[in-house]
Amino acid sequence: MQSVQATAKAVGLPYGVRGILPILLAIPVIGLAQWLLGDLPFVVYIASIVGVNLILAVSLNIVNGMTGQFSIGHAGFMAVGAYTAGKFSLQSKDLVISHLPAAMSDQVLFLFALLIGGCTAALCGFIVGLPSLRLRGDYLAIVTLGFGEIIRVILQSTEAFGRALGLAGIPQWSSLFMVWIWAFITVLAARRIAGSSHGRSLWAIREDEVAAEAMGVDTTAYKVRAFVVSSFFAGIAGGLFAHFVPIINPGSFTFVKSIEVVVMVVAGGLGSTTGAIVASIFLTLLPEALRSAFTAISGNAEIAQRVDQIRMPIYGLLLVTLMLVRPQGLFGNRELWDVIPRWIPRRRRAA
Amino acid sequence: MSEVLLRVEQATIHFGGLKALSNFNLEIRRGDLKGLIGPNGAGKTTAFNILTGVYRPTSGNIFVAGQWVNGAKPHQINRLGLARTFQNIRLFRALTAIDNVRVACLAEASPLISAERLDAIRRMGGLTGRLANLLDSANDYYDWWRALALTPGFQREEERLTRRAEELLKIMGLAHRRDEEARNLPYGEQRRLEIARALGTRPKVLLLDEPAAGMNTREKSELMVLIRQLRDQFSLGILVIEHDVRLIMGICEEITVLDYGETIACGPPEKVRSDRRVIEAYLGDSYLDTHPEAEQAARR
Amino acid sequence: MADFLQHIINGIATGTIYALVALGYTMVYGVLKLINFAHGDVMMVGAYVGYATALKMGPGTRTSFLGAVVVFLMSMACCAILGFLIERLAYRPLREKPRLTSLITAIGISFTLEYGFQLDIGFLPGAAPRAFPEIIVPTEWLIIGDRDVVLWNWQVLSFAIAVALMLVLQYLVFKTRFGRAMRAVSFDHRIAALMGIPTDRVIAITFMLGSGLAAGAGILYAIKDTIVQPLMGLYVGLKAFVAAVIGGIGHVPGAMVGALLLGLVEEFVVGYTSSTWRDAVAFGFLILVLLLRPEGLFGRVTAEKV
Repeated sequence: MQSVQATAKAVGLPYGVRGILPILLAIPVIGLAQWLLGDLPFVVYIASIVGVNLILAVSLNIVNGMTGQFSIGHAGFMAVGAYTAGKFSLQSKDLVISHLPAAMSDQVLFLFALLIGGCTAALCGFIVGLPSLRLRGDYLAIVTLGFGEIIRVILQSTEAFGRALGLAGIPQWSSLFMVWIWAFITVLAARRIAGSSHGRSLWAIREDEVAAEAMGVDTTAYKVRAFVVSSFFAGIAGGLFAHFVPIINPGSFTFVKSIEVVVMVVAGGLGSTTGAIVASIFLTLLPEALRSAFTAISGNAEIAQRVDQIRMPIYGLLLVTLMLVRPQGLFGNRELWDVIPRWIPRRRRAA
Repeated sequence: MSEVLLRVEQATIHFGGLKALSNFNLEIRRGDLKGLIGPNGAGKTTAFNILTGVYRPTSGNIFVAGQWVNGAKPHQINRLGLARTFQNIRLFRALTAIDNVRVACLAEASPLISAERLDAIRRMGGLTGRLANLLDSANDYYDWWRALALTPGFQREEERLTRRAEELLKIMGLAHRRDEEARNLPYGEQRRLEIARALGTRPKVLLLDEPAAGMNTREKSELMVLIRQLRDQFSLGILVIEHDVRLIMGICEEITVLDYGETIACGPPEKVRSDRRVIEAYLGDSYLDTHPEAEQAARR
Repeated sequence: MADFLQHIINGIATGTIYALVALGYTMVYGVLKLINFAHGDVMMVGAYVGYATALKMGPGTRTSFLGAVVVFLMSMACCAILGFLIERLAYRPLREKPRLTSLITAIGISFTLEYGFQLDIGFLPGAAPRAFPEIIVPTEWLIIGDRDVVLWNWQVLSFAIAVALMLVLQYLVFKTRFGRAMRAVSFDHRIAALMGIPTDRVIAITFMLGSGLAAGAGILYAIKDTIVQPLMGLYVGLKAFVAAVIGGIGHVPGAMVGALLLGLVEEFVVGYTSSTWRDAVAFGFLILVLLLRPEGLFGRVTAEKV
């Protein structure tokens, strides 16, 4: 895990700039992508799904990978974010902020909705994490699963959330730009955590909790904080999701979804943000590609359904094979940017 | 007299029916170098575990830097100034040497609400203790935010941290291993890294659990010199568990001997060396019967 | 009052089924310190094997005593083999690896079984629920009032079978040499191996026993629900695990107590509120136990050696 500063220092940037620079660079790049591809609805849809899964995988990696805990209820926090943001947007979709053109006003409201969704999810993460993170690994898995289910049951029985039918009519404010800016922010956050003393403490907890405690790390508090940050981004992912699909219902946020994200994190390598990125992109695009390929070849839509059905048991077998053959996943705990900085010429450190 | 950094009064712990440690007493002042020896299973590591908060004593009291710490969590006791190494090395194996030390060098500044203000709140009594803890969490969350936003203050602090960690590595002779993963280090260097890491927590008292285990004679004598140097350089009080009795006798001013959880001797090396009970514990009482010269020494 | 009695009857009926599955969880956790996520799905496979066997037999044969016994035995045998294969191929190679690896593998197997059985390729049945053929002709054995409280024959039989199987297991674990070996392995499998106990065999047989019990539970559950479907194992499995935790994971009698307790609480909550909360009860109960007494009712608090 390279310190973020190491690379920035190599290039000689002042402190104040380093914080904000990446986002400033990202905005035009993603903006360009939006301008080029924004009119192709299929591309936007696929890219949005990929982006959402990326955010989920990278955020789950903070808890499951960096901290070495085992949370399998991520979809629950996604649901909280989706429903909260969706509800907010439904109530406010007719509002227009003065002095702003309608489109921009919508985006501002959208941002608000996302942040509200994210913060609510973070709060749930706090409530769930505080008692559970004291428990041993296997128990934590069951408890997080349980909370995911409880959230689903609550959503299913609450009138205000539309029960089993869910919420419809959420304004479709999302865009390629929004999804990918947030994906970028998530990756940036994960990277900054990993390169900071907080990230090191999380890794220490993963490596040896007893030793970490003995070195002054409040392990429970750190685990909770990692959980809160991770839940925040899951909520953001949910919020984004709610604004590019026509309906959200509890069925979109089941245990299956949680496991899908777990597979991505494990396959990419527990602890590797790069791995989570690669795995989430690959594992989201692959079934889509197969589906399109099979439909094109055979000409009927039934094959597409088949692909979906087979995807699930294959995920299961994938997990098993992965654990037997290469448990460290694709990248282990390494990052691409651990390798790249060696290619940038650096000032030699003073001996 | 220098201040008392660690005081243990009649510490006892039972595990079910097993009395692992009985009526253990200890006092460590600044500048002390004391030893804890005893046959295998005598309770030495258990004593360490009680002192550092891994176990809670069944009875007795432990005071670190004047504060009563029975039942406190290990990280709290560490913050008060007690650091340790482990009998079976417990480094963060996948982290580099410098990262191992950096984890221990946690930042001390409270970015949002200062420590003095928190203490003032706590002193107001009643539930304000909980309020102070809550506000301290705010400190922690704000620190995470600073990490995410990469504020200049945060970056400077990280650099300070890194410099301190590098300094410690240099002192322990590990500067050349800075970016090496801990699991790849040779055994002797791993032990030294554990000590460097413990020092990162700015301790007042250092507990070393068999720091010389597995080392050859030369390494052991180097370690002896190093321990004394550390004591002087950092104004520490040090307690060492060791099996190499010669090493302990060589550097420690006072030695406590445990056997089956009980303290069977306590005093300067010469006194302990010829204590009858100590000889019996290590060599068996038949030894005294068959070796009259040892019997003589014991009686004196 | 009548409602109350009915709830008790139903609660005990459900509880005994949970107990059979919970025993498998607790035994496997005892010897391997692993939560076998796939256990509930083994139960599901057992139900399907029973379904296939009963179907093959035809209505006359299967309702006879011998027929029913054959259905049970067939199912238990097949699941014992399945359990053996899972342990041998997926868990044994990972025994010395960190626990997380085995946990992920268990989830993988669970997933494969659940969704594999939802395909309708070859012998795989497909997602649609199927009616479980009758192997017990349902008769009301006890009616109080005007059908205020009903006790069915299959409920009593179910209870009797479950208790019989549990008693056999108790005997096995506490009164036989094999049981002693099992308990030794659950304390420390390396030391047990050094003592000359064939650890691999003990663990394999433990798995087979647990899977066999789960198969029995599967058939009883299918009789109760009258249908089989591929996801039936998921929730029963989770609840059985909760029951095992409540009793103290690794503690055999504790699992039974926990399961009965859970069955009753679930019945009462559903009875007096609504059925949407059925699944949430188990998890709520679990969270409560883990917060207040994580070692369970009968579990021992173990200290980790530092």
